[in-house]
Amino acid sequence: MSNLWFLYLFFSALLIFIGLYCLLTMRNLIKLFIAVEIISKGVSLAIVATGAVKNNILLAQSLAITYIVVEVALVATALALIINIYKKNKSLDVRLLSKLKG
Amino acid sequence: MVIQIILLCGLVIFSGLAILLKDLLKAALALAAASLFLGIIFFRLSAPYAGVFEISVVAGLITVLFILTIALTRKGDEVTEARLVKLAFPIFLILFLIIDGLVMKSLLQKIPALPSGPERGTFGEVLWKQRTFDLVAQVGVILAGVLAVLALFRKKEEDKDE
Repeated sequence: MSNLWFLYLFFSALLIFIGLYCLLTMRNLIKLFIAVEIISKGVSLAIVATGAVKNNILLAQSLAITYIVVEVALVATALALIINIYKKNKSLDVRLLSKLKG
Repeated sequence: MVIQIILLCGLVIFSGLAILLKDLLKAALALAAASLFLGIIFFRLSAPYAGVFEISVVAGLITVLFILTIALTRKGDEVTEARLVKLAFPIFLILFLIIDGLVMKSLLQKIPALPSGPERGTFGEVLWKQRTFDLVAQVGVILAGVLAVLALFRKKEEDKDE
């Protein structure tokens, strides 16, 4: 079973790496948010896989569901923020945000 | 085991496509496909409720929100990314694969296993009785999200006068 746990943690670390790479290098706001989603997929995979391997799947499921609900609230707020930024700057370039004053 | 590895590879490939594709709409659809793979993995890990939530909420609702945002921000594709980003990605990925494999192999044997026994009861009992506080927090988070969206889309005073 520990081999299986190793496999799942390996892939969840890989997902978190892909998300972090995108967060550090890309400039498009929507792309950055897609990266946050990919990181959250890696985390939820780690939670459920650990629960399954350690015979605590019911608790892991309830934690994963809580995580998904929080994720949805985050997505709704962040996308509303992105639309507002687009209305103000007419662009989704994250570099333009550094020019904001006050 | 083989099917699990295929599903995990599909998840990683579609996640990679979601960040590498230039077209934002295609990237959002690739993200939905990745969520679908993750949902199937949850089902196979005997976590059907988490799988249903992942497929219906993340692959469904969040994708719709993304597509709506992409439609409202039409010039989003015009942002130019640095040239090296896509070229350097495979190199960093291979480097990370090697480091990830080595670290996981060496570290996992040293991590002491937490005492855990088989769970009793049903999923409903665990969710409603053991994690009651989580549910209260979820209601709070949803309300905070709704209020934040309302505040962000509030019309200005001048617009109302017109």
